[in-house]
Amino acid sequence: MKRAGHLFITSLRVITCRFASKGAHFPSAAALRPAWATSCVLAESWRRHVSEMATGEYVLPEQWSEDLKDENGEPMSKSEFKRRQKAQRLAAEKAEKEAAKAAAAAAAPPKPAKEDGAALEDDASEITDPTAYFENRVRYVNAKKAKGINPYPHKFHVSMSLPDYIAKYGSLESGQQEPETTVSVAGRIFSKRASGSKLLFYDLKADGVKIQIMADARNSDLSLEAFTAVHNECKRGDIVGVEGFPGKSKKGELSIFPRKFVLLSPCLHMPPSAHFGLKDQETRYRQRYLDLIVNTDVRNIFYTRSRIIQFVRRFLDTRGFLEVETPMMNMIPGGAAARPFITHHNDLDMKLYMRIAPELFLKMLVIGGLERVYEIGRQFRNEGIDLTHNPEFTTCEFYQAYADYKDLLGMTESLISQMVLEIKGSYKIQYHPEGPEKPSIEIDFTPPWRRISMVSGLEECLGIKLPTDLESEEARQLLIDLCAKHDVNCPAPQTTARLLDKLVGEFLEEQCVNPTFICDHPQLMSPLAKWHRELPNMTERFELFINKREVCNAYTELNDPIKQRELFQDQAKAKSAGDDEAMFIDETFCTALEYGLPPTGGWGLGIDRMTMLLTDTCNIKEVLLFPAMKPEETGPKEADS
Amino acid sequence: SPEEIRDVRLKKVQDLRGLGQEPYAYGFDRTHFTKDLQDLYASLPNGAEDEAGTLVAVAGRVLAKRVMGKLAFLSLRDDKGQIQLYVDRTRLDASQNEGFNTVKGLVDVGDIVGCSGTVKRTEKGELSVVATGMQVLTKSLLPLPDKWHGLSDVEKRYRQRYLDLIMTAEVRDTFRARSRIISTLRRQLEDRGFIEVETPVLESVAGGADARPFRTFHNSLGRDLTLRIATELHLKRMVVGGFERVFELGRVFRNEGLSSRHNPEFTSVEIYQAYADYNDMMNLTEELIRVCAMEVRGSAQVSYQGVAIDFSQPFRRVTMADLVREACGLDFEAAMAAARQVGSAEAAAAVRSAPSLGHLLNEMFEAVGEAGLVQPTFVLEHPVEISPLAKPHRSKPGVTERFELFIYGREHANAFSELTDPVDQRARFEAQVARHNAAFQERQKVALDTDFIAALEYGMPPTGGLGIGVDRLVMLLTDSPSIRDVIAFPTMS
Repeated sequence: MKRAGHLFITSLRVITCRFASKGAHFPSAAALRPAWATSCVLAESWRRHVSEMATGEYVLPEQWSEDLKDENGEPMSKSEFKRRQKAQRLAAEKAEKEAAKAAAAAAAPPKPAKEDGAALEDDASEITDPTAYFENRVRYVNAKKAKGINPYPHKFHVSMSLPDYIAKYGSLESGQQEPETTVSVAGRIFSKRASGSKLLFYDLKADGVKIQIMADARNSDLSLEAFTAVHNECKRGDIVGVEGFPGKSKKGELSIFPRKFVLLSPCLHMPPSAHFGLKDQETRYRQRYLDLIVNTDVRNIFYTRSRIIQFVRRFLDTRGFLEVETPMMNMIPGGAAARPFITHHNDLDMKLYMRIAPELFLKMLVIGGLERVYEIGRQFRNEGIDLTHNPEFTTCEFYQAYADYKDLLGMTESLISQMVLEIKGSYKIQYHPEGPEKPSIEIDFTPPWRRISMVSGLEECLGIKLPTDLESEEARQLLIDLCAKHDVNCPAPQTTARLLDKLVGEFLEEQCVNPTFICDHPQLMSPLAKWHRELPNMTERFELFINKREVCNAYTELNDPIKQRELFQDQAKAKSAGDDEAMFIDETFCTALEYGLPPTGGWGLGIDRMTMLLTDTCNIKEVLLFPAMKPEETGPKEADS
Repeated sequence: SPEEIRDVRLKKVQDLRGLGQEPYAYGFDRTHFTKDLQDLYASLPNGAEDEAGTLVAVAGRVLAKRVMGKLAFLSLRDDKGQIQLYVDRTRLDASQNEGFNTVKGLVDVGDIVGCSGTVKRTEKGELSVVATGMQVLTKSLLPLPDKWHGLSDVEKRYRQRYLDLIMTAEVRDTFRARSRIISTLRRQLEDRGFIEVETPVLESVAGGADARPFRTFHNSLGRDLTLRIATELHLKRMVVGGFERVFELGRVFRNEGLSSRHNPEFTSVEIYQAYADYNDMMNLTEELIRVCAMEVRGSAQVSYQGVAIDFSQPFRRVTMADLVREACGLDFEAAMAAARQVGSAEAAAAVRSAPSLGHLLNEMFEAVGEAGLVQPTFVLEHPVEISPLAKPHRSKPGVTERFELFIYGREHANAFSELTDPVDQRARFEAQVARHNAAFQERQKVALDTDFIAALEYGMPPTGGLGIGVDRLVMLLTDSPSIRDVIAFPTMS
């Protein structure tokens, strides 16, 4: 329960932002004012007009003539005459109906609703057994088909989205209606309740918002019998189309008053109840469509995700970067250290690896003269699934010729801080690192951010001095001792790179709650980064940590082909020594480097982790529409079991 | 030989380091792209120098070098264009000790250099940067190829795409156009209120099309996975979930042979719009393609492989049955009607499934109709049997509300009023799976995507869906004959 409440707050914030930025689709309040004003004026003149007719000050003749004048002595157009004539007719009909109703009410006491077969059904009359529910609905669909009626109509014209409808008519007053306007909307029914034998209230949801359908037999084009039949076919969960006029109920609920009501797609299963919702995590991820139907806040996560990607794209496009696509299947998995997925091409009878990073291909494009390139896309790592890892995930990598890691430090600060400001409206965000039930922390993205040089930072933290030659066995032994002393676990193989990584994780990354750059990694941890121009044995590299997690990784690219070959060979040695995350040698890439890669800065961002931060979620599955799941224990579930 | 040249250049790497110059520099502060200078000084007369003497700095790859006594001329290319470097021994050496000798002896064609200086236009009209500073930024070890154009070994162009990009302006233009086409598609859709989403590449059941998938294995789950062959079934789940306008622009994979129109991984955009039907999708397709053509070719009339293609008019719309009748006189509509009249319902069903008139119509279309469709043509109303995800036509029995767009005899788009009836969907899947498993026996068994059917059972609004092959669209709009010309690194055997 806490969880839902908390996410609701997040979603409100997100909605506010979304409306602010998507000017075209979700007009801002300022842009809407003229439309509201116009409709108010119209409504006002309409009311005046009707009341004038009632008081008899002005009587509309039966025929229009050219010299016809209105109540103010102004000439009246033919269309205005027709409009008034229609309004007069409607008013008369309404009065007549009301009189008849009053007479009927006086003549007979109201019948109990359930007495005859034609009573209106609502949520209260729902079958409660899921299997019986499903069977009943399938019977209904089959019966329609047998009668030659298509239960899945091909087309329903929607004239207005629900957000637009709310924007346009949300300012009507309680009880105010616009029967002369015709609007058609569509969406999913969330609840249905009957009131007497002629009136039904539905909640209709679409695009994450809700309006009421106030279905009154007296507004319908149908006979009462047909009206009852149409509405008794419709259940909670169904997709319906409604054509009618806008207005508000007496209680002030924005509604549509249908003249036409079409069932477009029946929901055959009993939908999760409005009250209990859908909370089970497994079901939420496995049946994401249900999750999206029931939990509005989930929908907003994916809007935020889309906005993050749009922001990155716009940032790079305006700086002259070209978006490109490089292969996802390769002969050699290059550009990062990770276990790859292996597949097989039948026709070519060839083993292929799914990419783990696009890095080497993007650098080849820079060699080819495309000086600023980027790719936003999927990467694949054949690793375990946990709170921050999914076998496929999305990154953005960019490469800029003639830039170095110092340039990229500045770009990273401005890109991410501007993104946070645009999406969250502030540099400071609240985040629940251990889930919504646990305490929240504040993360402050106000630039500039702290920068820690890796080795000196570690030395300071541990109060020791590491040897200059990190490649030596002596250095490795010292690191093993340090790990033992501080109770840091480093599983075999205990290479210097892995030992250092564990210590940095324990002592430096732990400090990085607010965005912090850990810089100048040793060369032996960074086989694709260029040696540091000042610090011997180090590289010009940084990783950005936020909430103790790596979000970005960037460096001045190593472009000396001789040095690159040496470092690849070191990796090959590590691989044969048992480090199966070490990199493969990519000869094609080394050859490309020999044609000359300009000085280049390269950068990578984890889109999923960034999305987790900005949607206040701590499980990567929350930001993936269809996360990878373990096979269900009972095997694949039959949908209609 | 390249090996000898490589050794000579490796020696130059040492020499540069000996002079205290790092042959792999860390960066360079460029003031202008060459194109900026060409624009800025467009009106500078022949033989004139920039009077203000503004110091500029450019960087790029040396494509040519001539040394004539105390002068050297280098042509330099960057991302946006080209410019000449005018190296005068006196002027360079005045500000940089031994500068001219470095240029003369240690700079080769293919190197990346940075040059600062002032701007002048030579008597011959060549806009130049008169060097007062020259720096090798990256020493190249291998020489650029002498003959690249008309290279008989086209494979080499694809295998070493970076050389292709360095040597050929058209290739660079093609990939810039590709990027523009994709961003135009994206912008068009976003302007219409569509949201871009990402659905899985790794699936437990491959669905959404009839194609052979790639298979892989996830170690920690201990589970076989396939790479998606289409994004369709996941995107439709999104529509069920209330995302009324979604699209995904991304990679899909088919384990099939290579050809000038097929690469195992390719890019598609799939678009789903609730409350739309195939008519709406035809209009959307026309608009998207027309705007892309305007964006990259500046006109809605383009030429492809010497043939004029006209996107400016509404595309022709013609049913598959009509096309076959036009081509060879066979009247399938009549045949289908006749087939439905044969006695009992069972008899009619037997006739229709023998194996099926629908398959025959489709085969006939591919045999006689397809190749002639040069101008943009929507081929409509495919038989139900070959369209397992399309809704039956609202008035014509036996066919679906589907279209494929053909241009230059090639399929470019495929769209339907989506099938939303879960009962019908299950029956069609079962038929498809049975057919597939019969055809491929044990080798490539496929399973029914029951989860997708469950999603439909929760109710999907009437929806129009559209898929466009992005690579083929790029081929068409960049006048490229092969799909390998528009994929930066095509799959090679």
